[in-house]
Amino acid sequence: MKYLKTPLVIFVLLVIWQTAVILFKIPEYILPTPVSALEHLFLPQPDADYNWVMHIKATLLEIVLAFAVTSVAGISIAILLAWSDAIRRASMPLFVFINSLPIIAVAPLLLLWSGYGLKTNIIIAFLISFFPVVINTGTGLASIEEELLDLVKYLHGTKLQVFMKLRIPNSLPFIFTGLKICSTMCVVGAIVGEFIASDRGLGYIIINSQYTMDSPPIYAGLMLVSLFGVALFGLVSLAERLCIPWARPAGQEL
Amino acid sequence: MNRRMVAALVFAAAMTAGAFAQTTKINFQLNWKISGDHAPYYVAMEKGWFKDAGLDVNVMIGQGSGFTVQMVDTGKADIGISDAPVPIEGRAKGANIKIVGIIFDKHPNCMFFWKDSGITKPQDLKGKTVAVPASDGHKVMWPAFAQLIGLNPDDVKFVNIEPTAKPAALGTRKADVVFELYTGKPFMEKAVPADKLGAIIWADYGFNAYAHSYIASDSFIASNPEALRKFLQVVYRAWDYTLNNIPEAISILSKYHPINRDDFVANLTSVREFFKTDRYRNFGIGYIDPARMNDTINIVKEKGIEIKGVPRDYYNPDFLPNPPFKFNF
Repeated sequence: MKYLKTPLVIFVLLVIWQTAVILFKIPEYILPTPVSALEHLFLPQPDADYNWVMHIKATLLEIVLAFAVTSVAGISIAILLAWSDAIRRASMPLFVFINSLPIIAVAPLLLLWSGYGLKTNIIIAFLISFFPVVINTGTGLASIEEELLDLVKYLHGTKLQVFMKLRIPNSLPFIFTGLKICSTMCVVGAIVGEFIASDRGLGYIIINSQYTMDSPPIYAGLMLVSLFGVALFGLVSLAERLCIPWARPAGQEL
Repeated sequence: MNRRMVAALVFAAAMTAGAFAQTTKINFQLNWKISGDHAPYYVAMEKGWFKDAGLDVNVMIGQGSGFTVQMVDTGKADIGISDAPVPIEGRAKGANIKIVGIIFDKHPNCMFFWKDSGITKPQDLKGKTVAVPASDGHKVMWPAFAQLIGLNPDDVKFVNIEPTAKPAALGTRKADVVFELYTGKPFMEKAVPADKLGAIIWADYGFNAYAHSYIASDSFIASNPEALRKFLQVVYRAWDYTLNNIPEAISILSKYHPINRDDFVANLTSVREFFKTDRYRNFGIGYIDPARMNDTINIVKEKGIEIKGVPRDYYNPDFLPNPPFKFNF
């Protein structure tokens, strides 16, 4: 029963959506029915070849690569910042600056510099999603009991040992929180990237169909995108539970 | 390394260079997201016309005319599509680019409105709310058109919208008028019933500027004149074919992009209207008329841009197909 609740809620929402569209005679260009969106996804259409498989593959590849790059780079940046106070003080404002850039406004410039396609997409996804990883990891690395540090100092432990044996293991729960936020933002980043810098992927189908007010494929694309977001979030949560089973209080599930 | 090996290497290098010389790679920058008027490039690709001409063409989706100018000027693209006044203004400000061919002969700028709003002529726009994206070509050219029809450019109130939100803005009456190319009519008709949708084409009220044009950089023209000539030869041939075989062209386009074929056939059919001119019938598709080019340059000048040099600095008609593809409609 526990695992049936969520699908049930989703199903009820879809039914409400379907009935509302039919009942209030909402025109399709404003809101298609979920059935029509799903038909565009699963059934061959007489007037279009959406080539979903190719576009899904492109988007999945971007999301996975963007997530990998962002987590590795984000954690590395955080460790570097925690390692040296001087670097942190000098560069933290820069990261805040980058994070506050409205990506939509910068994107055409990125496109001019690094061209069209996967690379630019990943850069855009990185810029959108790296900050929570850096901040969370940084907080984890810093929040360590003074007594433990004193003890290590007393035992003549090196800075490297402090990091490897204390700070990094201690920050794991924080890292996973950062990665979970990053997982959904990477999906957003990949789609934004496709809006701007791609001719394939679900984001491309969505923006292309918006132009012609062809709304069922937009909603079909959005359903898939959200599904990928949920899946990646679930995978990170699963990895968290396997890596640090001690960190989660019993009964709390997310 | 012995002498024979060196000789073999030199030979191999010469062979590879020879093989590359046979095909020229061309990065081609579109003006915007895929629409029906992009079908000719995919027709040419599908039919192998680019390949036969020794061209390897990479088509890149667009971000607007200004972006095309930047891409072509910086060499990231070799040839691009841009609204004619934009590269003219770009060149006046120092970009090294020229117009080398025309696409739409009649200007497709248009205004859409609900018929019940009482608008029957462009002068009725006075006091109305117009929805148009900030960087849209319509907005850029509105002051020139307003003067032409005897209005003050400030007589209308603009609201900024997302480019893809144009039909919805009109459908939900968020604005009295939406500026959009006439070719967008099939998409407008999804939001406003066809019998209630009013449309006024600017060109019918004397707006004589050029619109979508092919542009190339000075350095590409100087270093690859033959490739440019072949490219224009192929694309105008493809235009000729596309305009006479619209459904086939759209099904080819739909092999490359996730488009709705019915919508795009309607879209391309309205594009065709803007090629049906005596100029294209007599002088061929793509023909650059010096007098109209002057008018277009004057529109840029009226914006307060200082135009240096002579009009001929801004365009070069020497690469158009010879003999031309005369459009028999």
